[in-house]
Amino acid sequence: MQTLQLLISGVAQGMIYALVAFGYNITFATSKTLNFSLGNFLMLGGVVGFILYMSHSWPFFAALAAVVAVGVVGGAVLLKVAVEPSMKQRSAYGWILATLAVGIVLRNAAEVFWSTDDFKFRSPLGDSPWRFFGERQPDGSLSGGLGVYPQEVLIILVSLAIVAAVELFKRRTVFGKAVVAVSEDKDTASLMGIDQKFVILFSFMLSTAIATVGGVLVAPITLVSATMGTVLGVKAYSASIIGGLESGFGVVVGGLFLGVSESLTARFVSTGYKDVPGFVVLVLLLLFKPSGLFGRAAIRKV
Amino acid sequence: MGAGATRPSWLRRLAPLLLLLPLLIPRAVDNSYYVGMVSRILVYAMLVASLDLVVGYLGDVSIGHAGLFAIGAYTVAVLTASPTLNTDAYSTIQHWPQLSFLMALVPAIALAAFAGFLLGFPALRSSGPYLAVITIVYGLIIYTFINEQESLTNGTKGITLTPLHLGAVKLSGVNYLYVVYPVLVLVLFVVHNVTHSFWGRAFEAIKYSSVAAECCGIGRSYFKVSAFVLSAAVAGVAGGFFAQLDSYVAPNTFAYSFSVEFLIALIFGGVRSIAGNVVGAALVVVLPDLFAGFADYRLMVYGSLLLVVLYFVPEGMVGLVRRGWGRLRPPDHTAESAFLEAQAAGLDVFGGAPPSGDGMALRLQGLEMKFGGLTAVRDLDLEVPRGAVRGLIGPNGSGKSTTVNVLTGLYTPTAGRLFSFGQDLAPLKTHQRARAGIARTFQNLQLFGDLTVLENVMVGLHPSFRASLLEVAFRLPRARREEAGARVRAYALLRFVGLQQAAFDKARNLAYGQARLLEIARALALSPKLLLLDEPAAGLTAGEIQSINGLIQRMKAAGLSILLIEHHMDMVMAMSDDVSVLDFGKKIAEGTPKRIQEDPAVVEAYLGTHKTSSVVV
Repeated sequence: MQTLQLLISGVAQGMIYALVAFGYNITFATSKTLNFSLGNFLMLGGVVGFILYMSHSWPFFAALAAVVAVGVVGGAVLLKVAVEPSMKQRSAYGWILATLAVGIVLRNAAEVFWSTDDFKFRSPLGDSPWRFFGERQPDGSLSGGLGVYPQEVLIILVSLAIVAAVELFKRRTVFGKAVVAVSEDKDTASLMGIDQKFVILFSFMLSTAIATVGGVLVAPITLVSATMGTVLGVKAYSASIIGGLESGFGVVVGGLFLGVSESLTARFVSTGYKDVPGFVVLVLLLLFKPSGLFGRAAIRKV
Repeated sequence: MGAGATRPSWLRRLAPLLLLLPLLIPRAVDNSYYVGMVSRILVYAMLVASLDLVVGYLGDVSIGHAGLFAIGAYTVAVLTASPTLNTDAYSTIQHWPQLSFLMALVPAIALAAFAGFLLGFPALRSSGPYLAVITIVYGLIIYTFINEQESLTNGTKGITLTPLHLGAVKLSGVNYLYVVYPVLVLVLFVVHNVTHSFWGRAFEAIKYSSVAAECCGIGRSYFKVSAFVLSAAVAGVAGGFFAQLDSYVAPNTFAYSFSVEFLIALIFGGVRSIAGNVVGAALVVVLPDLFAGFADYRLMVYGSLLLVVLYFVPEGMVGLVRRGWGRLRPPDHTAESAFLEAQAAGLDVFGGAPPSGDGMALRLQGLEMKFGGLTAVRDLDLEVPRGAVRGLIGPNGSGKSTTVNVLTGLYTPTAGRLFSFGQDLAPLKTHQRARAGIARTFQNLQLFGDLTVLENVMVGLHPSFRASLLEVAFRLPRARREEAGARVRAYALLRFVGLQQAAFDKARNLAYGQARLLEIARALALSPKLLLLDEPAAGLTAGEIQSINGLIQRMKAAGLSILLIEHHMDMVMAMSDDVSVLDFGKKIAEGTPKRIQEDPAVVEAYLGTHKTSSVVV
């Protein structure tokens, strides 16, 4: 029973990784760059959501809409300020540093203009766990048995819905196919009349919006703070690499693997070492499959 | 630069004395805080230089160097810490080896180097974002380890070290500068020597084109892993001396953000430059101090500054200064050119002994290359007689380039055998075939862009170097002699192809036709027995083709065996002794140029036929 509970929280955590990992994939597909500030965009979503929903008592969905708007605008700004300049210079690592820099600025801004403390974020579905298979108490409630936080269920459902919606959008709509075309071959896509600049802009806005929503989703489980995105960003990055950067299905596998291994290690080995098994597997995996589980291997062509 | 080209004036001879100046800082600056900052800059400069080896020279981004640095620092801390300073009520340390600092430094460097060795392996297969995540994760694992192994490291509480002293003389505080500075000079001297030798050129060749590097006889795996080991060893030295900087280490120093900060420092200062490394290290130390008044905003300033630098000066501060200086005083290479010209004049560029072994320069038997379901080359027999020029033609997609890639070992054929002068090529890897005397040029140019034209040719001379890493690191006589000799020989090769005027330009600035000539010069640097020219005339003007023709004739006259792959029929027919024709991966004709031109199968492959008579059922 306890293991099942661990599995569920591991899966919820893993779906957050998968969601943010998906954000990495989207921009990598169109621009062949990764947004290393994505973890801090997640933090931005959590903080803005907290300010509006908790501090100013906005209705949850109004706050969520505002968070999405922040993500969309943030993605556009990030692209213009950090990624486009280095893409123009064809620099090999300019974008890594530029997006890292944006992340540093975001985090420091949150610390300076908001707070350096941790805050509790109330789940819109309530913070008491749903209990199953427990013993009936005299007052009619259950205790013991399997406790599942409603927020964990929400995370799993919403993340799956977002991933599925974006994948459907890519496969079923004309604009979605344009996105795929740009990721396959930018120049040919341009020749076919696709506005590749707009597609890239769109992918960045989508990616950061997904991350900010992820911030609101994860906040009730962790806590809201200016540093909440740093390690989470790295984990999500690992998840997308494990799955293979080009694969939408792969990020879910990668995310779940990391989330579950983390929660099992924390329980059965040590909390301090909870990240290590996932990381070790990542390194070993890349030794044998250099482009992830579901990534395409490059053929050397001369 | 000028390898004995000009005699330095007495002023230049005294210049090394300037290196002693920083040792006066503790005397001149009566403020232990500022002197401490200088010591910190010196330690960090080693770490930035270590990062530069991997990022700047090898072209792999590492966001995990804090981990390697931590290994150095913690090995020294754990091995030297004494119980008197660390046994309060909360201490969890169980082991007290209590070695001396120097004794601890050796395992510190060795452990860090070994960690670098382990990091080098994934780097062989992964690159870009995949490698970046490995380095991040690597750093995080080390960070977790020092945080959690409390019996060894005292966990988050950190370890206090005994301040250094030599007898009664205190070597900590202000005096630490006297310890760190000589070490920094030594480390940078070694890094500079290695990066400015055939080792450094090998790193950069791998960065620009690992395929071309291997075809120049560079063992990619060996040099890539070595670069990581070297870089990690330097990070280990830096870490070891960092431990004594404050005589205290704690895990928080070595977090992920530390790696990021140093990557920023490296780019800010400018990669591939020792001055840049020092400037970058100074940024990390001085900037927080400058903004001490508003320390809260420090990281915002830091991040914004980085964005500005990336946007306006992507080559870093040192690059900026260099660019400005270059405008004021354009570099003058006349003296060195004259020296090389004089030295190279009498040199025979085909100095190598005639190929030993007997038989054909090249013999392919039943070669077949399949990619999945596609057969690119099938059942191909091909021979290049000793000293002959064999033309290989065929329409696009007929398998010509595939054949060359099989010959150089980039692809492993699915069937068939390959021999060169009687030697079976199958067991040889790409770089070994280059060393065995098979050189090639590339249809789509594969030059090493940021190296000079002369250095590009010197990459081709890579297999001729014999000096050990130790000799290179300390510029011992053999390393110096070989380097000087290689410059002359490279210059002679440039004269041979007519590129000596451009010897000191960057390869990326060459005109298209010049770049093709440089490809040939670089291939000749291997002293090949067999030269594979993969469309050497593609995209060239008629005049340029004439000069390539001239080159081929001179190479043939020197006894070189050549396989010439080309689309320009005039050129192939004029240059070749014999021509083979491929179509859809099969050889459809072979013979003298005259016979090939009249062969109906060849005409059909190139022009198609009128299907008037036979109907295939």
